[in-house]
Amino acid sequence: MTVPVFLAALAFAWPLLGAVVVMSAPTVRSREVAVWMAAIGCVLALAVFLFPATGAVAAGWDDDPVQRAGRVMLAFGLLLTVLESRDMADRFLRGLPHVSTALAGLACVTPDPVVGLGILEASLAYGVFVFGRPAGQARAGWALVRTGSVGMFLVLGGLLLPGASPSAGLMMACGIVMLAGLTPFGQPWREENDTFLFLPFAGAALLLSMRLRPHGGEAFDTALVAAGLASVWLTACAGRSDDGLRLFRTFPSALALIAVGARADVAALLFLCGWCLAGGSRSGRSWAARALACFPPGAPFVGCLLLLSVMSDWSWVFTVLTVAGILCAVVRAVPAGGFGQDIWPRDTAGRVACSVLVVTGFLVPLAMMLGAF
Amino acid sequence: MTLAAILAPLLALCVVARGMGFLPVLGGVTAVAMLVDGVASLQETAAAFVLLFSIGPVWFLSYYQQDRGQERSGPTVPFFALGLMVVLLLASARSGAPQFPAGLCVVLAGLVAVTYRQAMIWQWAGLLTCINGVMLAGVIEKQVMVVGVAALAGCVISVLGGLYVHRVMPRVAVVRASGRKDADRKSKPAETRFRGEAPLPSDPVPAFGTTRLAKEPPRAPADEEGNETDKPAPKAEDDPA
Repeated sequence: MTVPVFLAALAFAWPLLGAVVVMSAPTVRSREVAVWMAAIGCVLALAVFLFPATGAVAAGWDDDPVQRAGRVMLAFGLLLTVLESRDMADRFLRGLPHVSTALAGLACVTPDPVVGLGILEASLAYGVFVFGRPAGQARAGWALVRTGSVGMFLVLGGLLLPGASPSAGLMMACGIVMLAGLTPFGQPWREENDTFLFLPFAGAALLLSMRLRPHGGEAFDTALVAAGLASVWLTACAGRSDDGLRLFRTFPSALALIAVGARADVAALLFLCGWCLAGGSRSGRSWAARALACFPPGAPFVGCLLLLSVMSDWSWVFTVLTVAGILCAVVRAVPAGGFGQDIWPRDTAGRVACSVLVVTGFLVPLAMMLGAF
Repeated sequence: MTLAAILAPLLALCVVARGMGFLPVLGGVTAVAMLVDGVASLQETAAAFVLLFSIGPVWFLSYYQQDRGQERSGPTVPFFALGLMVVLLLASARSGAPQFPAGLCVVLAGLVAVTYRQAMIWQWAGLLTCINGVMLAGVIEKQVMVVGVAALAGCVISVLGGLYVHRVMPRVAVVRASGRKDADRKSKPAETRFRGEAPLPSDPVPAFGTTRLAKEPPRAPADEEGNETDKPAPKAEDDPA
């Protein structure tokens, strides 16, 4: 066994090990242990990105650099979730972000995307079991199972149809949109604890959609772009109301789906970075809202530039619609008094997130120019 | 294409129209449609899983009361599923698929049931119908991974749905016990139970009513006289004093 293969295996097993350690640690020390385990997981994911297991060693297993970089983003999302959380008495809830991140990473790397879907379903089942345990949560848990399973069956149905046919592409795109939780089509996620399950789950769905593209054909791409545009324009039309802010939570995943449909994988990776570090329930904070609204510097801003440069070659109509939608959404989603003056956040989690967003925004185009992607 | 493969989408439409009751029949027909193609290990395993996921939840539900009155969706839902099936048939004929996509028709019917029906049991039946359809399509296409993932999803949906039912719905055994209690009360003498405005036996304070009525044996002839109906009221005020 070579060192890269060992590193890759360790990087996949590490979050599961972290979940076991965090669940067995006493409540007082659990947060500290979880931060250490998540930080080591980030280092391992970075090491796997820099020293990949290539060639015959990785036969069958996915070895796309964008997917590897996406798993780095998932690892940083876990670190941020752990940094933000407080001490929790419930052991299952404590270990849930580690388990869901581990399963999301595993779902993205399996040789067959169908197996990845099965792993995502298992992750959803575990999360629903943990969320639904307290009294009064059964109905909310059932809603999650129902929507997630519908998305999975749609993708499976598309995979069973003949490849590159319009019906297969449409069914798979509808399923991916539901799995990615794109408002208004996706899951009825709740405010609290959604980062524990939803962020890695939707991130894995975005990464899986890149691997489903060969089977989906042109209809898949067009349907993904149309769904992303619909979500962006709905966000733009909803404005500053509470509904608009709720729609704004999934703004980066809508842009990421547009990028996947336009075959701009690096742009999708940058939007995924924005989703993992600033999306979901974090979007209420000023630094996160600034990053989500594609303000420079930051990964989503660079992703926007890359997406528009690729889309202009693909279709002018879609490019104009996307630019207008993004501008309208950003202008109307900015609070009336601006984002506030605190560009540099005061808490540790926010500082880590801002640093990673800025560094990713600089490094990814550099790596693209050097030929890493 | 077999008769069972044609019957399966029709039975899936029955699940959309009538609910969980048709699920065991659908499971049986789906298993037959799988086994007609050949009796390899993939077909046998898939047929066993389909029967398990179709009969198990219905048997489990027989221990719980059904929730009636939640459903507000209209009677046009099965026709919507039928329309989607026709669209799928047209699309697959246009793309040159050689076989009748029976499994995917069943999946579409299940998806319509999940999406448009409000009652949880109906949604559960829809999800299990989807699993039947995916397994049938996977067996026809001979895709082992799809059958495996459908089996995993079936386990997840069966267990989580069963947990939900167990937490939300009342058990049938409780109803039988209270029925026995009612039967015991009915066997008591009639004079001590229902008189005038006495509360029902299921009310939380039946003892007060029975004691008060036991103290008022002369009230019954007073009710028969038309003009003296107001007289018991001051008596009732006097009684506690």
